[in-house]
Amino acid sequence: MNGVPILSVMTWAPFVSALAIMFFARRRPMLVRWTSLAGATVSLVASLWVYWAYDRELAGFQFREEIALVPSLGISYLVAVDGISALMALLTSIIIFSGVFASWTVKERSQEFYALLLILVTGVYGVFVSLDLFVFFLFYEIAVLPMYLLIGIWGSSAEVRPQGIFGWAMGRTGVGTKEYAAMKLTLYLLFGSAFILVGVLALYVATGSQTFSFLTLASMEFDPALQTWVFLAFYIGFGILAGIWPLHTWSPDGHASAPTAVSMLHAGVLMKLGAYGFVRLGMGLLPDAAVDWAWLVGTIGCINIVYGALSAMAQIDLKYVIAYSSVSHMGIVMLGVATLTPNGLNGAVFQMFAHGIMTGLFFALVGLVYEKAHSREIFKMGGFGAMMPGIATAFTVGGLSSLGLPATAGFPAELLTFLGAWSSEYRWWLFPGVLGAFLTSIYVLRVAKQIFWGPESADPHFQNLPDAQGPEWAALGILVFVLVLFGVAPSLAIGPVDTATIPLLFRLTGQ
Amino acid sequence: MTFDSGMPLVVELALFALAVVVLLMGIAGRPYLWQGPRSGPVGVAGGGPAGKAIGWVALGGLVAIFGLTFLATEGGSVLRGSFVQDSLAIFAKRLFIASAALSVLGSLTLPHASFSRRAGEYHFALIASLLGMSVLASARELVLLFVAFELMSIPLFLLTGFLKREAVAPEAALKFFLVGTASSAVIVYGMSFVYGVTGSTTLDAIPAAMIGGHPLMRLGMALLLAGLGFKIAAFPFHMWAPDTYEAASTPFVAWLSVAPKAAGFIAIIRLFVEGVGSAALVWMPAIAVLAGMTIVMGNLMAIPQQNIKRLLAYSGIAHIGYMLVGLAALSSSGVAMMLFYLVAYMFGNMGAFLVVEVVARSEQSDGIDAYRGLAQRSPLLALVMLIFLLSLGGIPFVAGFWAKLYVFWAAIERGLYGLVFLGAVLTVVALYYYLLVARRMYIEAPVRRDPVPVPGLLRAAIIVCVLGVVGMGIYPGPWVAMAMRVAATLF
Repeated sequence: MNGVPILSVMTWAPFVSALAIMFFARRRPMLVRWTSLAGATVSLVASLWVYWAYDRELAGFQFREEIALVPSLGISYLVAVDGISALMALLTSIIIFSGVFASWTVKERSQEFYALLLILVTGVYGVFVSLDLFVFFLFYEIAVLPMYLLIGIWGSSAEVRPQGIFGWAMGRTGVGTKEYAAMKLTLYLLFGSAFILVGVLALYVATGSQTFSFLTLASMEFDPALQTWVFLAFYIGFGILAGIWPLHTWSPDGHASAPTAVSMLHAGVLMKLGAYGFVRLGMGLLPDAAVDWAWLVGTIGCINIVYGALSAMAQIDLKYVIAYSSVSHMGIVMLGVATLTPNGLNGAVFQMFAHGIMTGLFFALVGLVYEKAHSREIFKMGGFGAMMPGIATAFTVGGLSSLGLPATAGFPAELLTFLGAWSSEYRWWLFPGVLGAFLTSIYVLRVAKQIFWGPESADPHFQNLPDAQGPEWAALGILVFVLVLFGVAPSLAIGPVDTATIPLLFRLTGQ
Repeated sequence: MTFDSGMPLVVELALFALAVVVLLMGIAGRPYLWQGPRSGPVGVAGGGPAGKAIGWVALGGLVAIFGLTFLATEGGSVLRGSFVQDSLAIFAKRLFIASAALSVLGSLTLPHASFSRRAGEYHFALIASLLGMSVLASARELVLLFVAFELMSIPLFLLTGFLKREAVAPEAALKFFLVGTASSAVIVYGMSFVYGVTGSTTLDAIPAAMIGGHPLMRLGMALLLAGLGFKIAAFPFHMWAPDTYEAASTPFVAWLSVAPKAAGFIAIIRLFVEGVGSAALVWMPAIAVLAGMTIVMGNLMAIPQQNIKRLLAYSGIAHIGYMLVGLAALSSSGVAMMLFYLVAYMFGNMGAFLVVEVVARSEQSDGIDAYRGLAQRSPLLALVMLIFLLSLGGIPFVAGFWAKLYVFWAAIERGLYGLVFLGAVLTVVALYYYLLVARRMYIEAPVRRDPVPVPGLLRAAIIVCVLGVVGMGIYPGPWVAMAMRVAATLF
């Protein structure tokens, strides 16, 4: 495969298919879907190839492509992957590939929907592979902005009307409506990107060497004061996207209001973008500050785990449960990162992958259940297991992975993270982590029991509901398969990830 | 053919000639002006076709003069250095003339009868104001600077109140007039101190006096900054802008929102930056505070606006703040980035105002609710408006992103982290109100389903703006290089 710009193919294939959709597929919904699928397939094949062909012995950044864009300012299109980004790119491919199937039934303005979705995916790939900080930022913006329209146009307003003070607030401000959620999500994320931009510019000016290249910047030693504030700027900027408490509130609203494929992509991949950016830029470029401030990152991670899980328990709207579980699980990622141990960091990256697949699966399932039963209200539904065994099985597998059952991808992720927490400087981090896993089992099993395995609902709306059909099976099958595969053979992911995390930690802690 | 240094005034002479031609055409088209009111039916005699013809002559003349600026050689000066044709002056003149041409293109199809009947007056006033700006860009002497300022401003008051029979126009014109003359008085007052200290009215004397740091010199310069603050509508000197924008005709506002402000900035550069070198850094805190306040207040006050012209007026105030960020750096790159910002702002803001004109004509409303469902009625028009709004909001791949990025960059080089941070956060606020318009266009359902008609000439003007915004966004290199080259001559 020498000479083929494989990363560019992977990154730009969705974009090309988006253009094709805009220009050639007007009012031909099936062509739109097949074109999208083609784009997603090209990316999937490319990312599988990259993941398989990545040379673990060699480690470091591979498949490098470089084109100077603005030489006078030192901006270049520099892409390459290491173990972490190869895994993240693979995650993106799996989610978008199944996301295309999961949104097969979008009827209204499907041309624009798929085009925006694919443009967004190009942004996501771009962030994962680009090593030029400026281009990184551009891709980051592409990944954030289409979300406003995707949620605003194709989203759904909250199913369960809030009561009391929230009901009043909804009347006043539109809390819970899709327009509100779209605006909130967009503004939060752009607020974060403002922090990132200032940080990137500060580093660029501080080097004085006229380059945005990550590789050059990573070899520099920055002044401690500069490190501190840029690190905190990155932490807030990327942290907002990663859903850190107390800046997470866009996530439940946004994810619950978004259409299925967008929820899958956003919770599954975009939140990882935040964690990835934090690890890559925050820790990779500012090692001293990362060590100094690990206590903050880890502690807030712990708050995330417990707070997210407790919030998920209190929800009565199925989609909000899943959305809050994301907040909780991203806490595990941030906790693992903050441990500054090989186990913890590997666990964090593994959790990024596992949670991506898992939450993608969950949102696909919620979308399917809503489509069949037209309800997201947990306590109205019941006994769906008999009518839709496939969906029920997939939900249960996802749920078990979510609470960290062995043989699912959630287990090695949480295990490694907790091992890391125990061997870190702050051993007590382990307890909120384990408590979170325990709380997760409560809310997940409660939902699974109520909706799928409990007594049948007497409501006439919920009789004779169909199971998943046609393309929908593809989405579920792929996600469940990956979830189990990586649970049974975690070394599939740990291998390449290890090649990236060990040098990073060496740089941070000297071990 | 090039003009040697003996003819630096060529652009101004051409503008003057054009103004006279337009005025004479206007008088010739209205015989009752010189034959007495009874000799022909008022409003019909010289109406339609003659009005159009005047507009076309003005447009053609402006395009020709725009071409003329490319023939002018840099470095010439007349009147013992009071009037210079340096690269900054030429850059500014191109900006003024290009924006005026876009505005004239937009106003050619204005439906009001008074526009075609009084086309001579309208275009004469506009070109006279343009002449003022043009002289201002070249002025290196206080008195000439002031006269140019007045020549620029007085026709603007007139043009604001052009639709004199509409209730709001005279009020807005009066407000604009009062604020404008007050600011002129402040400027003159400041100039008197500067003259008192330096003993000379040429700007060449300013750097030495600034380095000397005489307190009266400081006072004079502070007054000048305040007076010019009115002209560029920086907070807290901004009050005239929203009312004026709301009342005046939209294609004119498109120009008003760009050219006079650019002229104000050119004057500030001439007074505070040119030749002053590092002594100008004394003014950095003052300009930075002015920039910060303008960004914050402009953006916050734009949020509750329900009228798109007022919204754009307040957002325009915020943009002035961002340009001041570039200026606050008081470095070569800072000034260059500010000039780049001016060009990006010209395309983005004028484009947005022209779309406002299109929608207002079809919906008879300037409310942002008039944009409901525009994406489903006229997808292209909505997309174009979205592009303009995103450019104003500072989103990648359109001009506004680079503009903001570059001014931040220049400010960070000077260590103005706090200001940049404030500006970056406030861009999110700006995106909020821009997205409120986008939401009406894309998310909300249309009230009517018929497409919005776009008059051909307006379409042409809008296309020029889109090309500018997207072109600068995708390939900013040459524009940056040009701005850098212009700014480099000032230090």
